[in-house]
Amino acid sequence: MNAIVALCHFCELHGPRTLFCTEVLHSPLPQGAGSGDVPGQNEPAEEEEGGIQMSSRIRSHSPAEGASADSSSPGPKKSDMCEGCRSLAGGHPGYVSHDKETSIKYVSHQHPNHPQLFSIVRQACVRSLSCEVCPGREGPIFFGDEQHGFVFSHTFFIKDSLARGFQRWYSIITIMMDRIYLINSWPFLLGKIRGIIDELQGKALKVFEAEQFGCPQRAQRMNTAFTPFLHQRNGNAARSLTSLTNDENLWACLHTSFAWLLKACGSRLTEKLLEGAPTEDTLVQMEKLADLKEESEGWDGSEEEEKPSSQPDVVEGQELSKSSPETSLMPDCNSWNVAHRRLSVFRSLRHMRQVLGASAFRMLAWHVLMGNQVIWKAQDMDLVQSAFDVLRTMLPIGCVRVIPYSDQYEEAYRCNFLGLSPHVQIPPHILASEFAVLVEVRAATRSSLYPTLFDDEQSLNKYEFVVTSGSPVAADRVGPTILNKIEAALTNQNLSVDVVDQCLVCLKEEWMNKVKVLFKFTKVDSRPKEDTQKLLSILGAAEEDNVKLLKFWMTGLSKTYKSHLMSTVRSPTSSESRN
Amino acid sequence: MCGGTPKTANGTGGQIERARNNSSVPLGNNLSCTQLDERIRKSLRDESVSCANKVTRLLQNSWSSSEFDLNEIRLIVYQDCERRGRQVLFDSKAVRKIDEAVVQKMAEEASIKTSARNCQASNGNNISSHSPSISCMQNMKEQIPKYQYTRPASDVNMLGEMMFGSVAMSYKGSTLKIHYIRSPPQLMISKVFSARVGSFSGSNNNLQDSFEYINQDPSLGKLSSNQNGLGTCRSGSNLAHSTPVDMPSRGQNEDRDSGIARSASLSSLLVTPFPSPSSSSSSSSSYQRRWLRSQTTSLENGIIPRWSTEEMFSMADESCSSNPAMVRRKKIAISIIFSLPEKEEAQRNFQDFFFSHFPLFESHMNKLKYAIEKAMISCRKIAESSQRVQVYISRVMDALGEFRVTIWNLYSVPRIAEPVWLNMMSSTLEKNQLCQRFLKEFTFLIEQINKNQFFAALLTAVLTYHLAWVPTVMPVDHPPIKAFSEKRTSQSVNMLAKSHPYNPLWAQLGDLYGAIGSPVRLTRTVIVGKRKELVQRLLYVLTYFIRCSELQENQLTWSEKAGEGEQVLNGSKITTALEKGEVEESDYVVVTVKNEPALVPPILPPKNDGSKNNSTAEWVCEPESTQAVPVSSKEKSETIGKDSQTSETSVDCLTSNFCKGAADGRKRTVTDTGIISYHSEESSKLEDVMDVKKSKNQNERKVEKQFSSRSSALPCPERSGHRSSHLEKVTFQIGSSASPESDLETHRREMEENLNTLIKNPEVIHCASSSTNLTVDASQKQEDGCEAAFTPISKHNVCYAQIPPCEEKESILNQHMESKGAEVNLINSISSELLLPTNNIETVKLTNMKENRTLCSGNLENCSSDCVEAHSAVKQDSPKVCAKDVPYGDSGRKTSFRVEGDIPRNESSDSALGASDEEGDCCIPDEVHHNISKRLEEFAEVELPLPRSNTISSQCVKNFGRSLLGGYCHTYIPDLVLHGINNDEKLKQYLLADLFHAMHHPVLDEPIAEAVCIIADTDKWNVQVATSQRKMMDGVKLGKDVLVSSQVSSLLQSILQLYKLNVPADFCIMHLEDRLQEMYLKSKMLSEYLRGHTRVHVKELGIVLGIESNDLPLLAAIASTHSPYVAQILL
Repeated sequence: MNAIVALCHFCELHGPRTLFCTEVLHSPLPQGAGSGDVPGQNEPAEEEEGGIQMSSRIRSHSPAEGASADSSSPGPKKSDMCEGCRSLAGGHPGYVSHDKETSIKYVSHQHPNHPQLFSIVRQACVRSLSCEVCPGREGPIFFGDEQHGFVFSHTFFIKDSLARGFQRWYSIITIMMDRIYLINSWPFLLGKIRGIIDELQGKALKVFEAEQFGCPQRAQRMNTAFTPFLHQRNGNAARSLTSLTNDENLWACLHTSFAWLLKACGSRLTEKLLEGAPTEDTLVQMEKLADLKEESEGWDGSEEEEKPSSQPDVVEGQELSKSSPETSLMPDCNSWNVAHRRLSVFRSLRHMRQVLGASAFRMLAWHVLMGNQVIWKAQDMDLVQSAFDVLRTMLPIGCVRVIPYSDQYEEAYRCNFLGLSPHVQIPPHILASEFAVLVEVRAATRSSLYPTLFDDEQSLNKYEFVVTSGSPVAADRVGPTILNKIEAALTNQNLSVDVVDQCLVCLKEEWMNKVKVLFKFTKVDSRPKEDTQKLLSILGAAEEDNVKLLKFWMTGLSKTYKSHLMSTVRSPTSSESRN
Repeated sequence: MCGGTPKTANGTGGQIERARNNSSVPLGNNLSCTQLDERIRKSLRDESVSCANKVTRLLQNSWSSSEFDLNEIRLIVYQDCERRGRQVLFDSKAVRKIDEAVVQKMAEEASIKTSARNCQASNGNNISSHSPSISCMQNMKEQIPKYQYTRPASDVNMLGEMMFGSVAMSYKGSTLKIHYIRSPPQLMISKVFSARVGSFSGSNNNLQDSFEYINQDPSLGKLSSNQNGLGTCRSGSNLAHSTPVDMPSRGQNEDRDSGIARSASLSSLLVTPFPSPSSSSSSSSSYQRRWLRSQTTSLENGIIPRWSTEEMFSMADESCSSNPAMVRRKKIAISIIFSLPEKEEAQRNFQDFFFSHFPLFESHMNKLKYAIEKAMISCRKIAESSQRVQVYISRVMDALGEFRVTIWNLYSVPRIAEPVWLNMMSSTLEKNQLCQRFLKEFTFLIEQINKNQFFAALLTAVLTYHLAWVPTVMPVDHPPIKAFSEKRTSQSVNMLAKSHPYNPLWAQLGDLYGAIGSPVRLTRTVIVGKRKELVQRLLYVLTYFIRCSELQENQLTWSEKAGEGEQVLNGSKITTALEKGEVEESDYVVVTVKNEPALVPPILPPKNDGSKNNSTAEWVCEPESTQAVPVSSKEKSETIGKDSQTSETSVDCLTSNFCKGAADGRKRTVTDTGIISYHSEESSKLEDVMDVKKSKNQNERKVEKQFSSRSSALPCPERSGHRSSHLEKVTFQIGSSASPESDLETHRREMEENLNTLIKNPEVIHCASSSTNLTVDASQKQEDGCEAAFTPISKHNVCYAQIPPCEEKESILNQHMESKGAEVNLINSISSELLLPTNNIETVKLTNMKENRTLCSGNLENCSSDCVEAHSAVKQDSPKVCAKDVPYGDSGRKTSFRVEGDIPRNESSDSALGASDEEGDCCIPDEVHHNISKRLEEFAEVELPLPRSNTISSQCVKNFGRSLLGGYCHTYIPDLVLHGINNDEKLKQYLLADLFHAMHHPVLDEPIAEAVCIIADTDKWNVQVATSQRKMMDGVKLGKDVLVSSQVSSLLQSILQLYKLNVPADFCIMHLEDRLQEMYLKSKMLSEYLRGHTRVHVKELGIVLGIESNDLPLLAAIASTHSPYVAQILL
């Protein structure tokens, strides 16, 4: 809690004085802010073996310097202090408690070292003990303003057989800048501070009674009625709270108690704040990472336990390694980004569309979205890789299975993106299939193939791209809705690449949401076909291509999501549940 | 809700009558009885009956208002003027209403016919107030004195002292104070303002005199006795002396006594940018808001004045130029005093309400202040003095009446019992049912009332302005893999709350009002309609979309808890009792928590021992202080010697010993254990606080003997014996012993300390001690079974050694269960300590511990002697373990958590705070000494560990989420985030002023740009948005019509269709959330688009991005929560 708790005393010789004061020091940055997910952080919180390190600004106010600069410290001069005005002996460094879990430090001194805080506390102390009026003199008050902070103060008496009226006046104050927080905490603070006061008073009462028993002051004072203040001038006038309570560890105890109070008050209310579910892409990515980890652990420990589908997994690992650099299973993948930037690569979907031409691109994209096998035949591995990197952005991550470059044809169930070297033979039924598309990258016959577009792209000029498929998409075919939207976005040069990216994210999530409903409907609840048809039209996906697309994308749903849907208790048939 | 006239006793001006009484509109649930208490009681009953079958059950309120008496809200206005001293300008207690009949008569005498009729119409014994409809006659009525101002109450001087303080403050801004007055119980909230006094001329001055006239003229008291009020007033005015108001200023610096001048550094701080936390997408806006709040209210680097609140009390027309020289010389205090009910429960209820809802109270107080200002200024124009007073008094009384009614409304308004979002969040059990119910209502509305797009418009508006739903759909980037894809509690916000505590109540309020966008807008929603049921359905459904966080209340305790399955927690005794409900028919459970001691005993480093008698030197750390530990026995030096050995060896010793102990437990006799522990306890029990030292040697000798004779087989027995005595001393010192409580209490404490000596883990004490009675019995029984002389005091023995002869007793089993918590904890502490010295043996020991624990718990069930032995073994080992050197560092403590995590309890034990007790108990190795002295050179503070903490969490019901979502109310209430009303009459009357007020005195304690109210009228089928920024369009319309977003309507349609297709409710809701997430993603796209554009090409948005122009306001608002720049472009 952003507060200062202080014990104040109205000294009969010196007036209101701050005796003891506990401050809270938070780490300069919020926890978790320094963790990896926040790249924008100026610098991570310095976590050290001994706990947190305060930033230099805070440190400069830390007691280390404050105490050394004792003479210049804003506190009252020694000569102005008597026993009663003092808590810790001169030169005492104060107390500190670390709360490791929260990186919060609680420090106690007689006065805050920060000059501004010193006056804040001083002002609050003065107001608490000599300005504000509390009926009965003992009790809680709240007061304050924006400039001096807000104060919850509780005044009380401590028995003292030697004091005038046999008691001394104290207050415990809590200072905050957040007045609403402070006022909200009133009932809590009142309870706790009252408790502390009760115990202090109890201790003092015992001492008082013991002293009275030994040497009844009242009688003595009666006898010395004509020199009423004599004993006060004798040095008894100001007794420390330690002696009044006969508790030599009082200050340590108060430090612990105040720190505890601050901690308890700060955590009195907590929020449960929900955040959104992760997107399907995030989930799938996490799953793949987890699989990968498991696998690599398995490899570490035991003999290579061969899984039949290991190859695609590895491939996925490679893909992941790009999105999450820490798993650098395939370093060449990373270096590729840097080193070959200027080489012949596709930089974006829009770029690819420009290179291939609108109709070829449309055909290619159509096959990609439908989950048909996309085969690139090229000499240049990097080119193929970049093509796949660009094309895959159209699909949910879960739908992407890439074999970036292979010396033999791989079946469609293993990969929907396949890179092949030019000499590899592709089975004829594949070439004739409507479920595959082939992109052949050849050396350009005429270097002036795309003369105007690519002045800066010398590298791609040397290639010619031939897109073929067993059943070319009819030009008048409407195609899946998402394809049309993607094309529209790519066409519009007003939209920056970032906008297009966001647009793709939106479209994908939108369609994944439809996929989810379809999955629930058909796979989990096994609803009849007529219903499914209705559902598809509700989803605005009744057209053939859209249905195909949804079915393919369903394979990309995360395991987490699917198992959740499967495992949730099937709700009773709706007719029962709804009346 | 009962519309109404709260009890307006014939006495002191309880005038709260308002225009609504003139309206003939049938009020829902209207109850005719005028007695407040009875009415509320009845309405409670009625409410529960009438709403039982309804879709929307309305909770009457979270706060029982039955004890709350409107007339007990008192207003005092005070003036503190240099020249004239303090004067009461108003005290509602001194105002008495003149009998209506008299007024009537006078009115007739004045032959104001219309007025007379209306007066009669305005019912009962209330005085009517300002209302446009009757304003014409108001003027007439103002001519007639309705109030009589008697002498201010006797306590008014004291109250003045409290308001102003005994010493003048020079601060120019307003000062806020809250006092609690014990008897009679009252809560006083006061604000002191500097007065802005205009430069007056001529007759204006008379205001001042009028006030004085109020205060001083005793003849005024006779006014009412004299039936001819007018006449008296006239004569009274003659008595009033007229004096010039203000003397020239005496200079400006006169009273700068206690102010702190703003230093230059301060303004530089203002410029210093805060380290901006994560801008990562997930829940960034919520997070950001909270982080900023915690930073701007931080005290660490000095204070940062957040906004200049040079709030003044204006005593002159704005047309009058204020005279700065005069400003600071006059202060006005406005104070509101709530009389608290005598009954403790009711009093606590109101206090809870007051303190948790303080921002709202303050806001209304500001409104009241404004009305008082107005009253003062306007009455000034009246030349005739007595009339001036009358106008002034009645105006202020009107404002006070309004304040009273508002507070009462706020307190007692019907609330939505089951806000959907909050309930879905908190209760997992009935989630499916909740979903079904919600969806049923939701689809009903889509089907029935969306023909004209009404519902879509309403939902568009709600989603556009109550923006707190956005963070709840922002996808998280890094979910833990195992977690399901549903929403989770935001971890980053949780972390923030721990490391930088902020005020969750405040955060919740901002969420509810949707004040998380940029620019900040504060939004409320009102549903208007005569069809109560329909309105209630709408309200219910909207509680799903108007979102906020759920609050949890945590009670932090530092002492250990007792066992499970019982109600003794952490030294706090929780008693539950079933009590007959007073108001409701049903019973309710009263839970009382008796708190642990408020003074937390510190865990001191042992070096303090040396300087025991010198309190000021406790921090001095000298080598000899360790030596000076007041134990002179041989073992001591041996121990120290051992301590200085390498930690490995001792660890080995301990580990093996420990294992051995566990294994050998069977062989060992329990009595043995008992005695060892017991002796030290007994001796310490006998000791006086001051005598600890003296008897120590004796004690130790005894222990030594014990060890040598009985347990010589133990490798480190001396140490355990020595340790306990040493410990005992340390804990004694701390001083909790000098407790002021009764003998019983002291006794209890002594026992605790004794226990402490043994376990060295002070936290264990409380749980153990809390089961005193039971254990005493048991231990008594034990005395027969065991040779050891058990006394009731040796609770610790009971916990561990009681079991052996217990084959028969069920009660003992129970008891054992009770103490299980403690034992487990002991084990944990051992394990953590074991783990401390070196890391490499961690795992081994952990498994040891685990084995041990499973052994224990397994055996618990049949209470076999194995179990006991295991425990005794643990116990016996513990002192030894404790005696182990424990380095200051905390490395390895994490491990101890893990062990502790196994305890089936809702606890968060923060190792860092706890576990460190050993620091106080153990001899510090040289290395550490070295560190300390090194640190001392640097003036580092003495480190004191905080005790380990446990948290008991419970749902916090009394928060804004539960109180500001209103039901169908009898009248328009400005504070509620959501509520329904019968007609918009009141709304039209007050809305604009309320919006302005909300903007100028934001309850959020931070500047807001705009206050907005969404008004959905189910009678006229329109949805409008009224704002503080635009003037009302015309007489008919309250605000601007809402554009229906096609995103929203398509969302509604598909949910409806899915529902009709019998897709399960919970899945429909998942889909709904997915669709909301889509909107968020679209807003991301929009913000990305806008980044590069200064102009929006709507066509582009439509074709390419699927964003239609009617979606733009919604998406832009969503975008403003994550990309503030969007607002600058679009708005």
